[in-house]
Amino acid sequence: MEMTDYIIETQNITKKFDDFKAVDGLSLQVKKGEVFGFLGPNGAGKTTSIKMMVGLLKPTKGQVRIDGQDMRKLDKGIIGVCPQELVLWDNLTCAESLKLMGDMYQVPKAITQERVEKLLGDLFLTDKADTLVKNLSGGMKRRLNLALGLVHQPEIVVLDEPSEGLDPQSRRVLWEYIRKLRDDEGKTVILTTHLMDEADRLSDRVAIIDHGKLLRLDTPENLKKEIGEGDIIEITLSDSRKIPEVTETLQEIEDVLSVFEEDGKVNLRGLNALSKLPQILENLEKKGINVVDISMRHNTLEDVFIYLTGTRLRE
Amino acid sequence: MKFISIALKDLKELIRDKRGLIFILFFPLLLIVVFGFAFGGMGQSNQQYNLAIVNYDEPATLPTSNETINYGNNLTQLLKDVTYQGNSSMHMFNVTIMSESEADILLKNRKIDALLIIPANFSRSVVALIKNTIQTTTNPLSQVNTSTVTSTLIIRGDTGYINFGVSQGILVGLLSEYQDQIITSTQNAVKGTPGASSAQYISYDVQPMAGTKNFTNFDFLAPGIMVFAILMLATTVAANLTREVEQGTLDRLKLSKMTGFDLLFGGMLPWSLIVVAQVLILFIVAVAVGFHWQGGINSIVLAIFAGIIGGIASIALGMIIAAFAQNDRQASNLGILVTVPISFIVGAFFQLPNLQVWGFQFNDFLPWTHTLNALRATLIYGGGWDAISYQLAASALLTVILFIIGLILFSKSRLSVDN
Repeated sequence: MEMTDYIIETQNITKKFDDFKAVDGLSLQVKKGEVFGFLGPNGAGKTTSIKMMVGLLKPTKGQVRIDGQDMRKLDKGIIGVCPQELVLWDNLTCAESLKLMGDMYQVPKAITQERVEKLLGDLFLTDKADTLVKNLSGGMKRRLNLALGLVHQPEIVVLDEPSEGLDPQSRRVLWEYIRKLRDDEGKTVILTTHLMDEADRLSDRVAIIDHGKLLRLDTPENLKKEIGEGDIIEITLSDSRKIPEVTETLQEIEDVLSVFEEDGKVNLRGLNALSKLPQILENLEKKGINVVDISMRHNTLEDVFIYLTGTRLRE
Repeated sequence: MKFISIALKDLKELIRDKRGLIFILFFPLLLIVVFGFAFGGMGQSNQQYNLAIVNYDEPATLPTSNETINYGNNLTQLLKDVTYQGNSSMHMFNVTIMSESEADILLKNRKIDALLIIPANFSRSVVALIKNTIQTTTNPLSQVNTSTVTSTLIIRGDTGYINFGVSQGILVGLLSEYQDQIITSTQNAVKGTPGASSAQYISYDVQPMAGTKNFTNFDFLAPGIMVFAILMLATTVAANLTREVEQGTLDRLKLSKMTGFDLLFGGMLPWSLIVVAQVLILFIVAVAVGFHWQGGINSIVLAIFAGIIGGIASIALGMIIAAFAQNDRQASNLGILVTVPISFIVGAFFQLPNLQVWGFQFNDFLPWTHTLNALRATLIYGGGWDAISYQLAASALLTVILFIIGLILFSKSRLSVDN
């Protein structure tokens, strides 16, 4: 791939707060026009990384290049940010807030007006245009929070935990909108999330980070493949003391890729696991082990995450 | 013109936050009311002021009776005899006749509170006034053009000394009353109005003088309290600016093409409107709780102007405070920590020693010193534009410097990339 295809490149960026390394030597490239996901638990260093990437925070070490340019020479209009917290002026209306940001990015008035109307429409806020921000519902505030970062039509849209605090319906509106930004408008979208589902469904590529370090960077499919194909069967036993015995037994079954204990359950990953189910149950019955619950699902990013970090996502 | 958008945004936020706005506007009001009641009674009716009189007057002859009178002595006697309204045993002044050089020394040592110099042509001017009054009374339609003689009485004293402030206020009132009485009694004598003495044109009956009753310490302190109230605005501005940092909206603006100048100059505009409103409220309330000032409406207009410049200086100070405060609580605390000492340093509450630095009084570097000087010059001493133009120019210049310092500090600590 040509260098110019990368719109953002971080070179070994590190951020230290006193003795604590929030980000530790992060090097990655974001391609033009992709949705790039930062996946990690809270406190993994996602927001800190993003703040350095948009120029709000100075790295202790390393540098960030945007469109091949040093961060400091950057045209500020190129980036739009939707922060994790609601960052709004309570006593302005939706339309006033958006127009203010348009002015701050020196967008001509007539164009701002057009964009404000379109944004309000796209994010289902048209009838709230003249409502004071403090009188909006939580979901509406979230959507306005996003819109404020988009008025100046940035090349790069950075979304820090965009679905935080959204109800499922609003989340769907948001996801649709993010896809539209990429597909219709050719924007590069960077999003951080601790929701596997979100990273999986939206991102073209996902960077998994924890403790400030990059663990993996690949497409969701490749990441899932990396720990093997197949499905996951989770078995809950009536007597959890028997788990070691069960894991041993089940490992011997053909096409079973891995069996381990996780959170008091037996976690089994195997190819075509559904067809193995009768055999598994028969094995357990022979040993006189009672099964309380059994469930089967597709391999997810969460499984990748657990595999990589040895823990579930921390809230 | 991004600063205009910022100004409009700040204005909308200020106006729509009703509770905050009421607090901002009524806080100084509260201050004036409290001080007005606390000091309004002080110095009232019971303090005797030490007055030195230097009398250069030469007697003049009355046109009607050919009697020769020294009106300087007449005025001196009146000032000796005048008592407080409602307390006839309490003389307003302890009068001493002395030479000018003697008096100047005593003034400097504050052994006397004020010096009144009666000029040589004082009697002639009084006679001219009487002649004029007789002519206009007997023949109101005639185009009289009597030779007018104007004499100027000098009231001298240390303008930083509260006793001078009060005694000159009383003197100014008495002198204008003196002139009014000459006119009234002359008119009565000519018309033969009952009760008027025909031989005497000037009644120097010692009467309680209207208007002196309420002249109090508060009148002298009011400009200082106003400056204190204006200074307190810095705290509010700092808290508001810090709120923008705290709620993260400053980060949003920081990412845009907005500059520090846009933010701070834009912010200064609506706050200046607040200053205008605050200063107006201050004056209305001050007058309502019994503030007496010299120079009529003209003084008030000049004082409002001076107050506005001082208020803008406070906005700039607020920006400096906001550069150091992490949250709006800190801004308020730091604001009080800064504004209260400054109000003492500029001499808002009591007179400060004369301390020179590089040929300037040490507090001349603060714009509010000049605001206070201007307010005192115009409100207590009735000074006009000439008397305060230097003070206004100095406070405006220092305000610009303060704004630039605020801009640099705030941009550096709040608008640069975080470390």
